[in-house]
Amino acid sequence: MGKQKSSYKTALEGLHHYLSRYLPISRSEFQHLLPYIEIREYDKKAKVTKEGEVERYFNIIARGLVRKYLPLKNGEQTIQLAVEGHIIHSELSFFYRTPSTSVVETIEPTVFLSISYESLEQLYKQHPKFERIGRLIITDLFVRKDHRFFDQLRKNTRERFLDYIKTHSHMLQRVPQKYIASYLNIKPETFSRLKHLMRPAKKS
Amino acid sequence: MLDTLKKYISGFVSLTNEEFALMANELVIRNFDKRELLTRAGEVENYLNFVVKGLVRKYFYKGRTEIITQIAKEGEFINSSASFLSGNPSPYLVETLEPSTFLSVTRDQLERLYENNPRIERVGRIVITHLFLQREEWEHECLRLDTRERFLRFVENNPDLMQRVPQKYLASYLNMKPETFSRLKHLIQRPRTAAR
Repeated sequence: MGKQKSSYKTALEGLHHYLSRYLPISRSEFQHLLPYIEIREYDKKAKVTKEGEVERYFNIIARGLVRKYLPLKNGEQTIQLAVEGHIIHSELSFFYRTPSTSVVETIEPTVFLSISYESLEQLYKQHPKFERIGRLIITDLFVRKDHRFFDQLRKNTRERFLDYIKTHSHMLQRVPQKYIASYLNIKPETFSRLKHLMRPAKKS
Repeated sequence: MLDTLKKYISGFVSLTNEEFALMANELVIRNFDKRELLTRAGEVENYLNFVVKGLVRKYFYKGRTEIITQIAKEGEFINSSASFLSGNPSPYLVETLEPSTFLSVTRDQLERLYENNPRIERVGRIVITHLFLQREEWEHECLRLDTRERFLRFVENNPDLMQRVPQKYLASYLNMKPETFSRLKHLIQRPRTAAR
């Protein structure tokens, strides 16, 4: 990467802050991490990870908007929508070192703070504290995933829609509607219809 | 009894005998009859359980319907995982289907192990990652495969569970109606005998 890390001071500070939510990290400890981090920039609508390739990176979004989808016979099924501060990559491929069945693609121009598989293994070996942070992050991701899984099973379409717009109003402004509909597993027509329901409630 | 666990862990990380002993020291053996609850809805999950012997299901109530989200047998982990990891009350129940024996560890014991031994913490990280990925894979399969494909894949990977688990539970786990499950079962009878 030709990019100077110093020009991404804010993004790196954001990362320090983000990791410190899991475990306090001193400035000097954070310095240990920096050599392992790569800054990667993508245009909008760029494929970050293609189907069939082995995922090389664990990415945190410094700036931008990214989606992950499964290419299926009958179209693309969106499985994740991620913005600043979120983690997005093809996890199964990254951890199992197998060809990815999902695609990671930017929606807006995006900057990632990334760490490669090899670097992450090195980091864990050299600095056990980061292994603990790794454990705490994956635990958090698992708990969130379980929560979402539970919601999907328990709630109907309307409830899922209402919950999403309540908790992700910022996404509605940025993400094309068809992607949100796909993510919520709702037909685009149903999504539009539900959106009309929302108008009066929004004003009050 | 510890051998099964040792084998499971060595699939991820090679621990020395000493490290394994340190961990084994914190485990408790728990026995349950069939149809006993390990965890109730609304409780905070206190244990992580490794199934040494037996069969267990995890489920929740949607209205009055039970929705099964996991069926675990020998050599697998089961608990109300999100509750165990977050400390929030469990929406799930965990219940034995057969008389079962577990090697269990409490959250406090586990934390102590992590604190004292980075290699055991590594095991913890890898096991959680594995649980996370299993869930991810399950979600992908639900989206990618239709009912019939999901059924066939399950049968292929878990021929033993077809014998051990009541059909209505398998149907619930696979998110299909019991009638659909019965119908699909007829599909497999012929190829299965042919394969033997």
